[in-house]
Amino acid sequence: MQKYRLLSVLLFLSTFLYAQNPSKVTLKGAVADTSGSEIAFATVMLLTPADSTLVNFTRTDDKGNFEFRNVKNIPYLLKISYIGYLPLQQYVPEAGVSPNDLGQIGIKPISTELMEVVVKTAKATLSIRGDTIEYDASSFKVPSGSTVEDLLRRLPGIEVDADGNIKAQGQDVKRVYVDGKTFFGSDPKAATKNLGAETLSKVQVYNEKSEQSKLTGVDDGKKEKAMNLELKEEYKKGAFGKVSGAVGDQERWAARGNYNRFNEKEQLSFIAYGNNINQTGVNWEDYGEFKGQNSFSDFDNGDFGFNSNGGRYYYFNSDDAPVNNFDGRGFTENFGSGANYNFDNKKAKFNASYFYNQSRLFVDQYSDRQTFAGDDSFFSSDTTGNTDFRGNHTLNSRFEKDIDSNNVLIVKANGRYSNASSDSYQTQHFSSSDNTPINNLNINNNNDMDSWRLTSAAIFRHRFRKKGRSFAMSGGYNNNRTNGMENLFSLNRFFDATTVEDQIRQLNDNANDSWQAKSSLLFTEPLAKKWFLETFYNFSKANNRVDRQVADPENSGQRIDSLSIFYDNNILYNRIGSSIRYSNEGLNVSVGMAAQQLNLKGEYARDEGAPLIAEPIDRTFTNWTPNLDFNYEFVNNMWLSMNYGYGISEPQFNDLQPVPNVNNPAFRVEGNPNLGPERSHSLGLNFNYWNPSSMSSIGIGSDYNIYDSQIVYSQTVEALDTFGIVTTTRPENVSGGNRFSTYLWSNFPIVKTKLTLSLNGNLNFGKTPAFVNGVENETTNNGFGLNARFNYTPAQKLIIGLSGRIGFNDISYSIEKRQNQKIQNHNIDASVKWQFASKFFLESNFNYAIYRNDRFEFNRDVPILNASVRRLLGKQNRLEVRLAAFDLLDRRVNITQRGTQNYVVRSIAPTLARYFMLSLTYNLRGYEDKISKNNWW
Amino acid sequence: MKNILIAFILLLPAALLSQEQPLEEGVIRYLVTHNWSKKMAAVDYLSKQQRERIAYMWGSRSEWKVFTTLYFSPTATRYEDSEERAEPDDEGYSWRKDVYQIKRDFENNTVHDIIQMIGKTYIIEDTLSKPEWKILNELKEVAGHVCMSASLSDTLKKQQIIAWFALDMPLSGGPERFCGLPGLILEVDVNDGAMLISADRITLQKLDKELDLPKKQKGKKVTEAEYQEVIKKYVEEKTKAEEPWFWGLRY
Repeated sequence: MQKYRLLSVLLFLSTFLYAQNPSKVTLKGAVADTSGSEIAFATVMLLTPADSTLVNFTRTDDKGNFEFRNVKNIPYLLKISYIGYLPLQQYVPEAGVSPNDLGQIGIKPISTELMEVVVKTAKATLSIRGDTIEYDASSFKVPSGSTVEDLLRRLPGIEVDADGNIKAQGQDVKRVYVDGKTFFGSDPKAATKNLGAETLSKVQVYNEKSEQSKLTGVDDGKKEKAMNLELKEEYKKGAFGKVSGAVGDQERWAARGNYNRFNEKEQLSFIAYGNNINQTGVNWEDYGEFKGQNSFSDFDNGDFGFNSNGGRYYYFNSDDAPVNNFDGRGFTENFGSGANYNFDNKKAKFNASYFYNQSRLFVDQYSDRQTFAGDDSFFSSDTTGNTDFRGNHTLNSRFEKDIDSNNVLIVKANGRYSNASSDSYQTQHFSSSDNTPINNLNINNNNDMDSWRLTSAAIFRHRFRKKGRSFAMSGGYNNNRTNGMENLFSLNRFFDATTVEDQIRQLNDNANDSWQAKSSLLFTEPLAKKWFLETFYNFSKANNRVDRQVADPENSGQRIDSLSIFYDNNILYNRIGSSIRYSNEGLNVSVGMAAQQLNLKGEYARDEGAPLIAEPIDRTFTNWTPNLDFNYEFVNNMWLSMNYGYGISEPQFNDLQPVPNVNNPAFRVEGNPNLGPERSHSLGLNFNYWNPSSMSSIGIGSDYNIYDSQIVYSQTVEALDTFGIVTTTRPENVSGGNRFSTYLWSNFPIVKTKLTLSLNGNLNFGKTPAFVNGVENETTNNGFGLNARFNYTPAQKLIIGLSGRIGFNDISYSIEKRQNQKIQNHNIDASVKWQFASKFFLESNFNYAIYRNDRFEFNRDVPILNASVRRLLGKQNRLEVRLAAFDLLDRRVNITQRGTQNYVVRSIAPTLARYFMLSLTYNLRGYEDKISKNNWW
Repeated sequence: MKNILIAFILLLPAALLSQEQPLEEGVIRYLVTHNWSKKMAAVDYLSKQQRERIAYMWGSRSEWKVFTTLYFSPTATRYEDSEERAEPDDEGYSWRKDVYQIKRDFENNTVHDIIQMIGKTYIIEDTLSKPEWKILNELKEVAGHVCMSASLSDTLKKQQIIAWFALDMPLSGGPERFCGLPGLILEVDVNDGAMLISADRITLQKLDKELDLPKKQKGKKVTEAEYQEVIKKYVEEKTKAEEPWFWGLRY
């Protein structure tokens, strides 16, 4: 052979006419078992020796013969497999002649026990790699607390004697390794007697060179049995976290940290923050990491109704989330911390979390307001200074248990205790339409309040054996208690009146206690293959008790009977409904009808136990509410949906009380015990299209609401000689109001993956009738907005964004047309993210906001420029240093412009303007040394 | 001595040896489990923190199950999505299914697939190509059949595929577009559980017209190479735009 090869090489070199071997070869052979009898239908594979790539395969015929015709003449691995036999692998060198007959190849049966491991043990893997046999330890059940030795006794082919000596396939096991390393000396029993069986993932048995040959390096051909115990991969166990601190000029500071630990079943997390830079809570990403698997819910809504069984919805659990909700006004100081625990073993889930957060808010606000009353109007300008404090203790818990595959139970309970206090100083200056001063009102109110809230629910779902038939039941109990004390002071000075000064002092003691118990049922029955009938029932009973006792501190705390009130309200709600759904190939249509009854009962007295001051309220509203839902998914990513519903919502308790609330004597808020529920027809239309190949999308949505009965706040504006201008609002039901809004969004690439344009627009019209001094006034609010955004990624390290928005809002009045307003809010925004060197990043954005109101001759522009540079440090980029400048031009201020039925108002509130900050963050996971295009997925 | 691996040589249960006279025709119902967060875990343009956050927040909620059907005979297979729903809570709402018909003819060595993807329907007609399977040594049981494992790697979609093929079902078909092994593929694991296709019911029966593709075929006719080019272009574009490609393309 050697000679031949040498010769052929020489021949090959001297001339290309002769190849050393034939380029194609026919391989053949026969498969037989150890006793020599042929094996038919065995699988024979040809693999490349380098990486076992499958080249060809065949089966043996009924005589056990196989043949590969005209395959490339290269070395192969011949692999033969047959049920019940050990797979055999044999090296076949390049052939000198064709056909290359490999003769009879013997394969050996697998022991029955080993075979049983493969077949009977649930999905057990048994792998055989050359000499190594590997057992999947988790497939062999041993009682908890068992040692490795106990486990080994159960493995087929392995024997353990009374002394703990191990034999594998009849041979003594000389060495036992743990994860490939010797375990406490060379005694093989040390590991097997001491380690727990549950720590193992795999047991491997293989032949090893003898100790002698290992020492000398000369392979004496002797092999000894060795065993390796592979420990369970604990890759799912881990921890991550972040801690960061920042200091700035003007005593600005911020600190926060979070730490999470988790394993396969449990998640435990801690979070804490504090700052005086107007971050009133954590961001959504941090909050998601804090809540972990408790972030999302799917079947948590127990208030069944129309379409409550159509598809599966996930939603973010945002109840009471201590996330940043700063509204842009003033200065805040914030602290918060919490802990969360999640457990999930796929059959049961349990979550519990506790959070404490507090915010102290300091706001100064200047407002200008014009109020129309009949033919006349007046101006008022307000200067308000507010200090608010709010602290919340929140406890959430949720338990979900899959009792079996057809029954699921969910129980939730959330509690919150809050205490709040507020101090406000307000100066209101009233003047007539020709700017003649009328009066000046100084108000100083402060209050302290404690409140307690409990919400709880249990939901049980059952699926019947019949496909599509299901039943669900829910129950809930909620309780709310508030106790508070309000201390009101106002001083009214007149510029031109007989009484020059008027002072009001009032001490209000408020106690509010309400509870609600509710229950719902849902039953779904398949009528035919594509037809379903859904029937639901809702019941709810709610009670609200309000006790407000008003005292006069000027008059030795004498109770003011005329302002005190005690009332007890009950709402009873029943609804039963049914809908038929047709579902087929992307078309889902449901038509339904419900009957609902709402019963309001209320009694009003000056004090608990005192005689009633008004006729008790006892009113029942019965309505039929139809519902229509249509969804269609076209071919190629187009969706159309339409829905119609008739909605009824009961009035708020505050709106029902018959005694006015006069915290500000110039603005009296009255209730209306005869107020009925709000009833409206709503119609929605949505269309979405997504083109995955051009990567563009477009969507349009419209909503239309028309009210049969709308709750609006009618106003009476009076100029009282003894007081000045007093506005009294009172809720009333009116009909004829409507609202239409439509939005359009689109997103398409101009240069694929480099430049994209998003265009969004919205258009809305609304008409709200209300009474002003007894005259019906219809306020029409028409708005239009357009938003365009370019995203440009010229290089991997540079992202540029440019966007602009224009917004117009026209407010017109039916009775006082000359007061019509045109409000404009526009803005331009530019941003850049640039990685200018490895581990160095620059981020900056510039926003220019334009506020206009021609009638007020209001004209203000607010440019905001922010910039920051950050650097990652350390091998794993765990450290980040950041220098940031906020509002470099020192122009930040909060502006709002608004117009309603009979007044227009614009407000300006100063807030945190220019400041600089240096921050340092340590992230256990390390930061990525790149900028990302999307923060979403 | 090294050859003594076998401690006992006994007759194997008759069931295991029944391969001599197999009825090689029937229907397999596969249970396909998609794990959304594991799919996201292979998306390398997201930061490690973002990928970990997805897995941490979604946990066991990121699984979605569907059924698929494979009709097989000694000469051909046809694979499609099943009408049957695997998610029990999904009753009563119908989603539109993309057209997906995978036909393999082993007699004529041809592919005839109808696949709706990236907003278009493609009809792929070509000769059967040979995937580069690597044969591994593990054995395990799937749906009552002893299977051997093989691996394949898709460098474009960044997928590691482990297939388990039955030693006693000598057909080279399988679920999705997987085929070319010496036995019927009963289980496929893509990216360590991101998509797990597992045979959960095998019914041996005589087939009639089940192997035929629907008569109505509308779409763009392409060769296998052209089809692969469309996928390649899309995956590369999406990766560059840092968006998951599997929203527009079957995983």
